[in-house]
Amino acid sequence: MTLSIWRYCHLTLALVSGLFLVLASLTGIILAFEPMQSALKPYQPEQLSKISLAETIGALRQEYDEVLTLKVDANDFVVANVVNKTGQGEYIYVHPRTGKRLGAPKSQHPIFQFTTNLHRSLFLKGIGRFFVGLVSFLLCLIAITGLILIIKRQGGLTKLFSKVQKDYFELRYHVIFGRWFLVPISIVAATGVYLSAEKFSLLPSSKIVHKPVEPDTEVDLSVLPQDLVLFKNITLDKVRSVTFPFSEFPEDYFELALRDKELFVHQYNGEILSEQYYPFTFLASQLSLKLHTGQGTMLWSIVLLLVSVALLFFIYSGFVMWRKRLRNSKMVVAQTDKDECTHIILVGSETGSTYAFAHALKKGLTQAGIAAFVSQINDYTTYAKAEQLIFLTATYGEGEAPSNARHIKTLLQSHTQKVPVQYSVVGFGSLTYQGYCQFAIDLERLLACIPNMEGSLPLYKINNQSFGAFMDWAKLWARATNTPMQIPPLEKKVKKAKTQPFKVLEKTGLNVDDTYMLHLKPKKKVKFQSGDLWEFVPEEGDRPRWYSVAKYQDKLVLSIKKHELGAVSQFLNRVDAGEYVQGGIKRNVDFHFPKSAPALVCIANGTGIAPFLGMIDENTKKIPIDLYWGGRTMESFSIYKAYIDNAIETKKMSTMNIALSQENNTKEYVQQLLQRDREQLAQKLENASVFMICGSIAMQRGVLEALEEITTDLLEKPLSEFEHREQLKMDCY
Amino acid sequence: MKTFFKGLLVLMFLGLLAFSQAPVETANYKCLIQLTNYEGEGAYVVVSILDAQGKYIETLYVQGDDSEWYRDIEEWWKNLYGIRRPDIDAIVGETVTGGQRKMAVLRIPVNKIDSGYKIRFESAVEDQEYYADDVEFDLTAENLKTKTEGKGFIRYVRMLPQQ
Repeated sequence: MTLSIWRYCHLTLALVSGLFLVLASLTGIILAFEPMQSALKPYQPEQLSKISLAETIGALRQEYDEVLTLKVDANDFVVANVVNKTGQGEYIYVHPRTGKRLGAPKSQHPIFQFTTNLHRSLFLKGIGRFFVGLVSFLLCLIAITGLILIIKRQGGLTKLFSKVQKDYFELRYHVIFGRWFLVPISIVAATGVYLSAEKFSLLPSSKIVHKPVEPDTEVDLSVLPQDLVLFKNITLDKVRSVTFPFSEFPEDYFELALRDKELFVHQYNGEILSEQYYPFTFLASQLSLKLHTGQGTMLWSIVLLLVSVALLFFIYSGFVMWRKRLRNSKMVVAQTDKDECTHIILVGSETGSTYAFAHALKKGLTQAGIAAFVSQINDYTTYAKAEQLIFLTATYGEGEAPSNARHIKTLLQSHTQKVPVQYSVVGFGSLTYQGYCQFAIDLERLLACIPNMEGSLPLYKINNQSFGAFMDWAKLWARATNTPMQIPPLEKKVKKAKTQPFKVLEKTGLNVDDTYMLHLKPKKKVKFQSGDLWEFVPEEGDRPRWYSVAKYQDKLVLSIKKHELGAVSQFLNRVDAGEYVQGGIKRNVDFHFPKSAPALVCIANGTGIAPFLGMIDENTKKIPIDLYWGGRTMESFSIYKAYIDNAIETKKMSTMNIALSQENNTKEYVQQLLQRDREQLAQKLENASVFMICGSIAMQRGVLEALEEITTDLLEKPLSEFEHREQLKMDCY
Repeated sequence: MKTFFKGLLVLMFLGLLAFSQAPVETANYKCLIQLTNYEGEGAYVVVSILDAQGKYIETLYVQGDDSEWYRDIEEWWKNLYGIRRPDIDAIVGETVTGGQRKMAVLRIPVNKIDSGYKIRFESAVEDQEYYADDVEFDLTAENLKTKTEGKGFIRYVRMLPQQ
């Protein structure tokens, strides 16, 4: 409940203030350049903390006929209002030590003047200022609600800066940038509010009121101001401004505005006639101005510039997210009657991304001639002809239900299905979170207790929205429910890698498993690393295929299994040494050899071993590497044997552990080997060793389960913690 | 071609006019404007010379450079600045707020002193009052050495010939 309120607030506030914020950000971008530009001017020849006020006063009096005022501006430039020797009044930058004229202040550039007005008051004077102040205040609230949402999403304040779940670009970076810019945005918004509030006299007065003073008139009139001890003891960096005595009569006095106080000083004896400290509101107002405008500091101006740009990005990405969520929930509306459908797909999603899977599934079912109905979990009701219920649900934060699945518990109790149905739950989540698929787990437990319902397939968890994993589930589900269905591949725009010719150096024949090795060399030099993907597009307009590569002695080595129907694997099987094939390199930085791992545990099955052959070869530091590999028979391993033997001989790897599923009567899988070595592996996890997994989705699932069991049993920690520390790297298909 | 000559002629005429105007002799007067302790934004102050009939002759000094607010200085805007935009040498950017003082040097044409002219200080504050004759006195050598109390945002103005 609480979640949707925050989300709702965040969205409403943003929608209300959006247009104004766009304007404020755009003008903010321009205005950020003003302080940068002025900070670069050459009017600060010396450090002010090394020059006394007396020295500057002396120099100015020497240099000019008359000095009226002196000011140290935000850039630490000294500006003086003087009458020069020819009787002309001048307002100029002066050298603090010599008093020489350095230049004249230019009035604000018309562009900045125009932009400032727009930014501050939208050309509407008082009303405009009020509006801008209000929007600033709304921005504060947006930042606060945003913080709450991020905390909920990341599962606690302490995890604020932990890894962000993979999602579409706008959403992901809304979160990532959100946490970085939260503080600067809050500062800009709060100072904006403060400055506006001040304009409307909403704050206590920031003024100093001096009592009337009566300077001593019986004094030595020959004393020069530059000889006063007080002025000698004040350095220029402490000075805001000095107003010189109006006349030479002793009744007139110096007015000094220092950083923290104002002084009236007798012009002949240096006596302090009045001393008033600035109230807090004055200092707060000065600070607000400085923080909001970036006056005087290059670095902060750059931060302000970034904030303005970031705000535009947040508005854009927030808008995209809002449209997406709206569209996703709308798509549900136009479809056949729920009571006509046999297959009901129920979606629990916070951001709407799970809907893509639901629609793919619906498409698959429809193609198989099955009437399917998609709906959000909160709309759960009775379905007259239902046979199969499929729950596709994400988890929010630390095991909470997504907002459109929150009422399922009561709904299940109030709406009993008339006919017995089967159900299957697919959990979407991220291994980095402690409550990985927790809501899906809870949901399945809940369903198990509902009469008239029977599970068709145990809970299937999907990490990082892997479509491959979803296909795998669909296969299992189709088998379990006897549904002749295939999910169409996801229509996703993938950025194609730049292709170039690769020369085939060597190609082995097929082994017992129809697997072969391909050695390639790029014609032109191209950067790649073991774990990257080699992209191959069989024909123009075709879906690209990817193969995990090994960089073995500077060659690009692939291990490919020829599929009965796989046109691509067959095509590549027909190439001969010396030929060229067009391909591209797709960087896969998440699956590179970790730079600073004390040891590596590599787990693979089938052709998934390929990148590890390269990584082991790259192991020049000779850190311990244990390889676990699952295959069918000993014969399957033979094509890799030479690489492994060589690596063990050169001490580039420590152990090779092989699980064979078809060799003996006992079917052995790689996860069983992990269980066998559980103590040793637990210790490795504790020692920050990195586990890398490459191979099929099914193997990945088994391996993750085994690892989860090991960490909970032996280390009393969830696997997510290690994933969090980036000790788990996966590349499965 | 014809228009070109015409243009040239006009230009030459203007040039002649510029040269024929003898520079007016001015005298420097130091001027101290002390504001009252009001709350709010900095005050806009405009100092002008008026003739005996109250007609604007010349603007000596403008404090505040955000022209957005000039319209608020009504009399001056209606009779001078709003009609023709004279080039004013002494436009000072920063305004001063309540309780503060501002010093400036005014260059007063000598031929206007003791000749029946007046000097006027108008003041206005954003979203607050406007005082058309906050301080106003006859432009005499005697008055230019004294202190004059104000009626609005200005508490007093002190003048002093600059040596």
